[in-house]
Amino acid sequence: MYIIGIDVGGTHTDAALLQGTQVVALAKVPTDHGDLFSSTRQALEDILVQYPGDGPLKLQLSTTLSTNAIVEGRGVPTQVVAVPGPGVNLDSLRFPFPVHKLSGYIDHRGREAAPLDPVELNGLRDVLGSGEGEAAAVVGKFSQRNPSHEQVIGAELEKWYRGTISLGHRLSGRANFPRRITTAYLNASVAQQQLGFVKMWKDVLGKLNIPLEDVLILKADGGTMALQESALKPIETILSGPAASTMGVQALTSREDANYLIVDIGGTTTDLAVVVEGEVLYERDGAVISGYRTLVPAVLTRSLGLGGDSELHFSPDGIRVGPRRAGKPVCLGGEGLTPTDAVTALELAQVGSRSQAVQALEDQARQLGVDWPELAERIIQAFTAQLARAVEDLYRELESIPLYTVREVLNPPDLRPTAVVGLGAPAPVFIPKLAQFLNLPYEVLPFSAGANAIGAAAAQATLGLTLHADTELARITLPELGRQEEIRRPLFFDLAKARSRVEEELKELAQAQGYQDAEIYVVEEESFNMVRGFRTVGQRHMVRAQLRPQVRRVRG
Amino acid sequence: MAQEPVVGLVFFPAFDWAISPDHPERQERLLYTRDQIQEEGLFDHPRIREFRPRLAEDREILRTHVVLPSLERNITESHRIAAGGTIVAADLVVDGTVDRAFALLRPPGHHANRFVHGARGFCVLNNEAIMVDHLRHRLGADLRVAIVDTDAHHADGTQDVFYNDPGVLHISLHQDGRTLYPGTGFTFERGGPGAFGQTVNIPLPPGTGDEGMLMALEEVVLPILEDWRPDLVINAAGQDNHFSDPITNMGFSAQGYAKLTDLLQPDIVVLEGGYSIESALPYINVGLLLALAGLDYSQVEEPGGLRRPIQSRAITKQVEETCREVLQLWKTREQADLKSEFGPGPFYERRRQIYYDTDNIYESQQEYIRLCPSCPGWRVVYTTSTRNQEPVAALLLPWQPCASCRGEAEEQREKLQGDKRLTQIIWQEPA
Repeated sequence: MYIIGIDVGGTHTDAALLQGTQVVALAKVPTDHGDLFSSTRQALEDILVQYPGDGPLKLQLSTTLSTNAIVEGRGVPTQVVAVPGPGVNLDSLRFPFPVHKLSGYIDHRGREAAPLDPVELNGLRDVLGSGEGEAAAVVGKFSQRNPSHEQVIGAELEKWYRGTISLGHRLSGRANFPRRITTAYLNASVAQQQLGFVKMWKDVLGKLNIPLEDVLILKADGGTMALQESALKPIETILSGPAASTMGVQALTSREDANYLIVDIGGTTTDLAVVVEGEVLYERDGAVISGYRTLVPAVLTRSLGLGGDSELHFSPDGIRVGPRRAGKPVCLGGEGLTPTDAVTALELAQVGSRSQAVQALEDQARQLGVDWPELAERIIQAFTAQLARAVEDLYRELESIPLYTVREVLNPPDLRPTAVVGLGAPAPVFIPKLAQFLNLPYEVLPFSAGANAIGAAAAQATLGLTLHADTELARITLPELGRQEEIRRPLFFDLAKARSRVEEELKELAQAQGYQDAEIYVVEEESFNMVRGFRTVGQRHMVRAQLRPQVRRVRG
Repeated sequence: MAQEPVVGLVFFPAFDWAISPDHPERQERLLYTRDQIQEEGLFDHPRIREFRPRLAEDREILRTHVVLPSLERNITESHRIAAGGTIVAADLVVDGTVDRAFALLRPPGHHANRFVHGARGFCVLNNEAIMVDHLRHRLGADLRVAIVDTDAHHADGTQDVFYNDPGVLHISLHQDGRTLYPGTGFTFERGGPGAFGQTVNIPLPPGTGDEGMLMALEEVVLPILEDWRPDLVINAAGQDNHFSDPITNMGFSAQGYAKLTDLLQPDIVVLEGGYSIESALPYINVGLLLALAGLDYSQVEEPGGLRRPIQSRAITKQVEETCREVLQLWKTREQADLKSEFGPGPFYERRRQIYYDTDNIYESQQEYIRLCPSCPGWRVVYTTSTRNQEPVAALLLPWQPCASCRGEAEEQREKLQGDKRLTQIIWQEPA
């Protein structure tokens, strides 16, 4: 099986062709922002030149379609129908989109505490309009515990609403009503566009004279999803570019450390990601995009305004790098001195004109009363120190994540890295220095390796399911599947049963989506006895299972 | 206070700890609170920041408590985390990391006395008291701290710890001790000779609702605070005044708690009791957090809020009378004749029997307080219990003792060291 990975980036669209664990070819074309499809096709064609044509092909695509639509505010007009019940006043959250509140509510156990009002339901037609060319999101508080209100409203809208409809519980089984509202809103607003994209690829698939069997879409968690699935959950495709790079590092690194730090140094920013026990860390709640807080599972990345082309600020206290970009480095014809100029002048890398870099350093050095080589060294030192501080801040932040059990407080998880893996053009200069600073071994991946496209190709399916069970209420809820069932023998429905139940469901779902042999594991589970008046009346279980996020290790 | 206060939340539900499987202090107690806060998105709110608790160290605990026969024999890690988490909350405020803090954790502490032979009222270590002493250790003994305890049960432990401590004003609002554990907290309990009048008890009749609680707050508590001018106000926020609480008989609502918080404007809030874990705590805690952060709590309402009993007129009248009495006692506290309260000296003697309901222990205590004109006076306490039958003596110095009290206490220690009946002589000197 051959796999083509394509990552549509801000500047370039990269492609990689993998056969098994071997990188066969790489390609790079400029991204055409006016027509993303044409640059994607160009990258595909370029890479196909090197395709020997002796086996089936699969395409794994990291697109910026939904990301751009959200960042640029180009989604269709979308309204939210919310069932907030009592609690935080929704109006005080000031969502930047219309939210219509309905009465009725589900409590924290998933019980209906107050019903929907049929009169208000009927009135939605006047509130929402016909929906032509628009979209609506329906979100209730605690809908992950009991989606029935969302389902009733959804069914009502189906009758007459002509726009796209997104229901909150289908997008996430996790708690956080404001984030679920935002997630469903964004999902609804880009769904139409994604549907067009899916249709287009389906057409293309039929017309190509190559054995392209499947197209998969990269997600923010670094995994893939089926093309068809992406039309229902386009929100999961956001921020897949940074995730793909992280996956690429995992695929390419030769380090065998359980915990390591990934440092991707670019011209404008440096991106940090963290691997713990062989798996990349996710954001605690979900992706944040353009100020929108979502519940979309996402690789945790921290972007620093620190890059080869960053501005330099000189003061008596020392040198500060960034956070803004200076423009082009002087060695490439720019105006302001940058870290790249220091690197070039010291002949640590060859970028443009060394003499111009030296000249600019001399000018600045004279003002400061030092030799230019010393100034260049100090710039590199300042860059490294700032980066090391940011790394420390990140680990401190991760280590402050609350713990809710005595066991965890006594033995907090060890997140600290035992190695640094770096990539990006300035990485060969800065990573060894950073590693020295942190007193860790390091590896620098070659710049030409195309980690983002390789990451896109090496990524594997991720799919998750949540199960909430309440044996006193004798009820199971599988929010992402929109299903609720009665437990027939509540007394015997223990955590082990809950676990095997969600694993079975997930296995079935995975097979239906074409993932035959993925490993399923439980990411999170909890179980409580419910005691009322000194008597155990039932148990409450929550189990979240997913396909193990894996990356094929590749040889560059 | 900042216009848009940032609240530090130290949330520690101890999901793997219980007194016993079906005890009210069990794993499940803060489960629904966690669910509600999480679903409301408050862990994620820009004005609410969550922090990790830590373990309290021996010296932090022993600055406040005398634990018999030893610390290890009485506490679990969970107690250390609750006390340490409360200290974290206080430090966040003092460091200026946040404007206010809420230690939403368990197990609770306000029934724990200075002397600890075991657990009373589900408490072993007094979280607030340990925190207050930590703050004085950090910031100096001059710090003035007011504790307003709004748990339905009288905060007898906290009252005991600070009973003779002029640096602390302790106000407890609770269901009348004639009708509820621990059976104390009457208006005539006004503090020891070194801090007379600074123990303020406001017993409320069973059935008191939002109206009565808020009346006591506005007409008694706030004026007293205004008068005493503390550097820090701490709210020991028990949540068992709620009308749905299974072990008390009060009529408070989630809205009432939020309003109380809004009026009191505490710097640090520490959770105490509250055992209506499904119907009350999730809503009370959301309301409390919103009020602390200066956010809109008007829509917070527990299910069945309409079933809340109306406070009767008879109760309102009774609350009014208590308020008048307490305020009068406060205003006249400096005119009180200490000689008639505590005798002519040189020592005031107090003998007590203390029952530890959770562990079924009886303690017998004999205490002598030196009536000193220049400091709160040194103390010697002799204690035995059905668990620790060998008598123990403890010499307690106040914060900032005068030289002669220190000298006398040292002399007494030497004398006691010759006494073969005593198994331990403990010297406690806060600093």
